[in-house]
This record gives sequence, C-alpha cells and structure tokens, in this order.
Amino acid sequence: MSKDSFEPNIVAFLCNWCSYAGADLAGTSRIEYPPNVKIIRVMCSGRVNPMFIVNALHEGADGVLIGGCHPGDCHYIQGNYFARRRIAVLKKLLEYLGIDERRVRMTWVSAAEGKKFADVIREVTDDIRKLGPTHQIRRSNSW
Amino acid sequence: MVDLKKLRESTEKIINRDDVKYVIGWEKGTHGFQVTPLFITSSDDVERLIFNPLCVHNLTVFLMLQEKLPLRKGAEEDKRKVGVIVKGCDSRAIVQIIQEKGLNRDDVVIIGIPCTGVIDPKKINKKFPNQTKTVDIDEDANNFVIKIDGKTHKVPKEELLMDKCKQCQFPNPIIYDVLVGSEIKTTGKPNYKDVESFEKKSLKEKWEYWEKQFEKCIRCYACRNVCPMCYCKECMVDQLNPQWIRRSVNVSENTAWNIMRAFHLAGRCIDCGECERVCPAEIPLVKLNKKLEKEVLELFDYRAGLDVDVKPLLSMFKPDDPEEFIL
Repeated sequence: MSKDSFEPNIVAFLCNWCSYAGADLAGTSRIEYPPNVKIIRVMCSGRVNPMFIVNALHEGADGVLIGGCHPGDCHYIQGNYFARRRIAVLKKLLEYLGIDERRVRMTWVSAAEGKKFADVIREVTDDIRKLGPTHQIRRSNSW
Repeated sequence: MVDLKKLRESTEKIINRDDVKYVIGWEKGTHGFQVTPLFITSSDDVERLIFNPLCVHNLTVFLMLQEKLPLRKGAEEDKRKVGVIVKGCDSRAIVQIIQEKGLNRDDVVIIGIPCTGVIDPKKINKKFPNQTKTVDIDEDANNFVIKIDGKTHKVPKEELLMDKCKQCQFPNPIIYDVLVGSEIKTTGKPNYKDVESFEKKSLKEKWEYWEKQFEKCIRCYACRNVCPMCYCKECMVDQLNPQWIRRSVNVSENTAWNIMRAFHLAGRCIDCGECERVCPAEIPLVKLNKKLEKEVLELFDYRAGLDVDVKPLLSMFKPDDPEEFIL
C-alpha cells in the first residue's frame, strides 16, 4: 500500500458522560469528520487501562485516542485526573521504546463540544496518516 | 562492613521471640560466588547466617511469596510475624509495599543493614571465570578482598560494584526495627546519564535497539518472579480471559510484555536491579525502569518507596498535573 492511500485505523475510548455525548452531538449536528475512528464507549476515561491502549496497538490500531471530561467535570469527580497521570507516563515510555508518542492521544471533550470533537478527530487522523502504519508491536500471526 | 556477630545476635533475639515465625537472611552458597537465601526458623540456624558483598538478593520478595495453604477445620491461621534482613534498597521495597497496603507494618520485623554496595555477579564471574569452589570475601575501604584457593586478591571496588550501587542514594535502610551497624554517609545523586543519552537517539534507532533486545526475551518471567513489587495474585500475563498477551514467543508479544511489565512498575520501581540480574537473556531492563523513574520524578516530583504515609503515584493526583499533551 502506498503512503498516499494509507488510511489509518484509530481506536477511540470515549467516556460515556462527556466525550461520547460530544461525538453524538457531532453526529446529530451533521458535522463531517474522518471515518477512520472506531469508538469504544467506556464509563469513564479512568476506566481505560493502559493495557487497553497497548493491546489496541498490538492488535493493529495505528493510533489510540482517549476522550474524557474536562478536569473538574468528571461524572465520578476524579476519574479523568487519574487517567491523565497514567497516559502521561505511558506516552513517555512508548517514546523511549521508539514508538511515536503521537499515536496515543488524549483529549477533553464535553458533551456540548461536537465541533471540537470533529476537529480533534481530524487532527489526529491527519497526524497518524503522516506517521504511517505501526510496525513496532503489531501482532504477527505466524505461529 | 557489618559486624557479623552483632547481626547474628540481634537475629537470634528476634527469632527467639514468640511472635516471629522465621527470619529471612543469607547463607553461604555451594557454588562459586553464589549466596543463597536462608530461612531461619530456630536459633540453631543463626550461625549459618552471613552478610558479605555477595549478598545481592532482595529478600523482600519472599514476604510476598508466602504460601498460604488451606486450613484444616478448626485450625487457626499462623499469624506470627516474619523477620527479614534488608539493605538500603530492599527497605524501600518494603516501604512501597506498605504504601500500597500489600503488607501490614505490624506483620514484619525488619533488621536493617547499612550497605556499602554489593558485587555484580556477572562482573565477578567474568573476572574470575570457572570458579566452582566457594570463596571467602571481605572488604576494606576501597577494595574487595577475595580469597581464592589460599590466594588473596585485592580488587578495587569500582571494578566489581553493581551499577546501581555506584550511584546509590539510600545505603541506609529507610524503615527498620533493628539497625545493625552505624549509618553511612550518602554521596550518591540521581544519575540518569544513560537514559538521557539514549533519549537523544531518533525513534528509529531506539526501536532498532529495543527490537534486538526484546527478540532475545524467552519469556521465562524471571524478572517478574524476582521483583518484590510484582505480587499480584494473578499476573496479567497469566490471565486467560481476557488474554492480553499470547504465550507465543515473538517480537510483538515480547514487546507487549516488556511494555506492560515496565509500566506496571511506573512510580513503584525501587531500583534494586534484581530483574536485570536474573535475566537469562541479559536484556537491560533497568534502563527501562530508570527511564520511568526519571519521568515520574520530572513530571510529578515523586520517588517510590521513601515514605510510608504517601499514597502510591498512580492512585493519587494533583489538579495541576502536567497536561500539555492533551488536545
């Protein structure tokens, strides 16, 4: 596949209360955004185990996006703060191993920010399209 | 160097207490430069106890490996304490486990030893190859005095010390009930030169380096088993549902395992270097752990295993944590 025709495969973990509702709003307001993103709804961004992210990259995703509520708006008061710490450390680790840290992105999108959601998806997709497919930890099914 | 007589005396005092099950220490090995862990269950065993610069093992791992067999009907659980002899770095592991509430402070009796550094088994085996008989080892201020077959060798410490000991900041145990010997002045500073020079490489170079390293991994999980911080009842690699990482040994699975192993130690690793010591494939695991230690220090100003009352890094937060990476 040539680099021009590469379509990235992005997995997004969106929190039920803000980001997922934001994505919903983007849909109902008929804002167009790239179809490369596969959304997985989680109850809170704090639910996102770093294992989910590594596993997604492992299973063939080219990028992972984690969406949560703005700081202070978390439905569970503090879940997004915990997520923020975890992702910060994980990104540094991936960078150190030679996996571009831009493959793992995090964003705060509230339920009213349909436009922002579409913009974020556009930005992430463009970034990852430039980076090309992951080859570092992608699972090889040759046993 | 610790006065062995004093160490044995205080150990004997502790093992003779009614509320102590056993004390974990070191004894002379049977082969070359090996020293083996010793479980002292009665005062008869005390004379086998030793401490010398070959005692590299971090014995705190045994606190978390205690087997708890099912009890007979009516039988009562043995709730006596366990004693453990620790060096400076090992004591940080205990602090960290207590922080995480994996262990109760009242359930352990800690005998602390101020440590002047231990010998890297890989280095000494390289210097004196094919040594099968056990050796006597001693130290003075700047040298290790090694007696092999009646001959005495004086080797400068710098040459044989483990890398972690060269930059050790915590030679004195942080937490202890009994301290044997007097405290040592610390000179070490956190040193991340290795990590920093590696960080400067390009992504491609980094990956090429790690790919070569992870290719060697045979997934024996020795690094996990020896780690005092890896005490989960069920490790994520052993889980079958969901199965995060397959058992097949290839680069992608090995990479996933090594990422998760390192990440699970973020803000928890106390830099005892046991994982790298036991690794049969000689993967530089400390290099990974050091990186996380550095990042955690820079991002959150946090160091693992220093204070029992602080919460573990990833189970607390500050509202003003760095978030410039967030879109």
